[in-house]
Amino acid sequence: MPADPHSRRPAVGEGPVTRLALIGLAILFLAAFLALPLAAVFSQALAKGFGAFLKGLTDPDALSAIQLTLTVAAIAVPLNLVFGVAASWAIAKFNFRGKSLLLALIDLPFSVSPVISGLVYVLLFGLHGSFGPWLRDHGVQIIFAVPGVVMATVFVTFPFVARELIPLMQEQGVEDEEAAIVLGASGWQTFRLVTLPNIRWGLLYGVLLCNARAMGEFGAVSVVSGHIRGKTNTMPLHVEILYNEYNFVAAFAVASLLALLALVTLAAKAILEWRFADQIAAAKR
Amino acid sequence: MAIEIRNVEKTFGAFTALGGVSLDVRSGELLALLGPSGSGKTTLLRIIAGLDHADAGEVSFDGQDTRDRAARDRKVGFVFQHYALFRHMTVFDNVAFGLRVKKKAERPAEMDIRRRVGQLLEMVQLSHLASRYPSQLSGGQRQRVALARALAIEPKVLLLDEPFGALDAKVRKDLRKWLRHLHDDMHITSIFVTHDQEEALELADRVVVMNHGQIIQVGTPAEVYDTPADSFVFDFLGGVNRLNGVIEGGVARLDGKAVRVDGEVGPNGPAVIYVRPHQVELDVAPGDGVPEGKWSARVSSLHAAGPVARLELDLAGRALEAQLSRDRLSDLALDVGSWCTVDFRHARVFPAKN
Repeated sequence: MPADPHSRRPAVGEGPVTRLALIGLAILFLAAFLALPLAAVFSQALAKGFGAFLKGLTDPDALSAIQLTLTVAAIAVPLNLVFGVAASWAIAKFNFRGKSLLLALIDLPFSVSPVISGLVYVLLFGLHGSFGPWLRDHGVQIIFAVPGVVMATVFVTFPFVARELIPLMQEQGVEDEEAAIVLGASGWQTFRLVTLPNIRWGLLYGVLLCNARAMGEFGAVSVVSGHIRGKTNTMPLHVEILYNEYNFVAAFAVASLLALLALVTLAAKAILEWRFADQIAAAKR
Repeated sequence: MAIEIRNVEKTFGAFTALGGVSLDVRSGELLALLGPSGSGKTTLLRIIAGLDHADAGEVSFDGQDTRDRAARDRKVGFVFQHYALFRHMTVFDNVAFGLRVKKKAERPAEMDIRRRVGQLLEMVQLSHLASRYPSQLSGGQRQRVALARALAIEPKVLLLDEPFGALDAKVRKDLRKWLRHLHDDMHITSIFVTHDQEEALELADRVVVMNHGQIIQVGTPAEVYDTPADSFVFDFLGGVNRLNGVIEGGVARLDGKAVRVDGEVGPNGPAVIYVRPHQVELDVAPGDGVPEGKWSARVSSLHAAGPVARLELDLAGRALEAQLSRDRLSDLALDVGSWCTVDFRHARVFPAKN
């Protein structure tokens, strides 16, 4: 076929048919695997009317699960924020022995199945675990209690902030910090006035992702929580229990709330990206 | 402020960045550290600033050892190669940074900070850009912001790492002149690192030539250019003809004829004769053979733009560059393809490296 001289087709790229097919495929895939289930969650939750939906959410056990989930996230996210910044600072700006070991350890929660992570805590702090008898003698309960849930969540959400920051900080190098120090800034001033502003967007993404995972974590928490209604049930665990009891409306009501939290997180990220696009672009330069 | 550097050593793993370097920097001078990459010049600069620590040796400021003084207490102005401007701060805030991070007791009032930063921005001719961000500036403007920021803390010594490296040729020349004027006005002891010999020779009061972690030669630009310490300096400063010859019994010879050379001649064996293009003397070729003790060459190309004419000559198969005034060229009436006799006013000889 002779080339059409009036074609607006770019030199690099595919024909319109291929392009449409690719876009269509992507949309179809997204619809089937993401949008459809999400819609199903909300439609199931509202299947028996808004009253039933509200009743499922305001049940005392559900309220307790919501409260626990928020509490756990409120502890785990700040902890991992501090740890993540400290670890990436150390890895990106200094050279020390055992650096690659630290890097590997940060990735551990990603590579290990969450169920195993939960089991490790049971083995350590459970009644028959290494520290179990000592803890029991001192009246401290970790497994099948809130501290266990918090610890498991912290473990699983360990890498999010650090993984987001390390490449960013490595790329930025140490020249800005050196400039600040030569100008007379103290270590803390350098961190607060130079390093932190340079990483703030990456840090925000890390925190948002960390938060989403902290609220949604199931496997590790499931092992250590003991599923005590009204006490150690987080939202994902509560959803499972309700579902297993064939209480679909309540199960999906709680699930929809969880999904909503995730959507809010995503929306917050999108809004921030849109609102501060200039600054983000400038920070990358 | 005078800086004394005594036997400073620094290694990075198996790499010796500095192998026992000693240097006296005079108060108020503008000094160039010149050398190829890996010669240790930037490492030396960073050790003076306190950004790196010497493995051995000492650096003192006006006779006081700096070992226990952290970088933040040295009152050193440092201009980084890529400027390291704080990208989330305006030009104004960048320049004000060093004043604002001072301890409360030493920190000037906000009004004084504004006045001082205003003066500095005026000095670097950037007052109109005070509220811009670094990403909105050109390379030359960023460079000047970095300089103003370094000067804000009234440093006793100004250190510049490849200050013009990232700029295009025209801006580089302007900024070079401007920096020289600035230095003449302020008289801050200044050290800049460069791998550009032209820059070092044009800008500095004294030039320190470095290679492989050693100082090879220290001297004024004229000294370094006219009497290079060794073949490395000759090669590195560039603009020189290298002619393969021999040394026989204390005499340098090119094609069997003796070459008058300055300085030591060295042991017998293959040698390289170094001649600067403007030290090559040309004359009209006589009709009957080559005069005693001179060489014969043919003009292979000729560039006669500007006050100086550059000639490429073919001397028995070797390429030889010569420079002479346009007047002299027209006296000689040389053109491409014509023959002439060649002599060397000043030359140096060094044993050939294998």
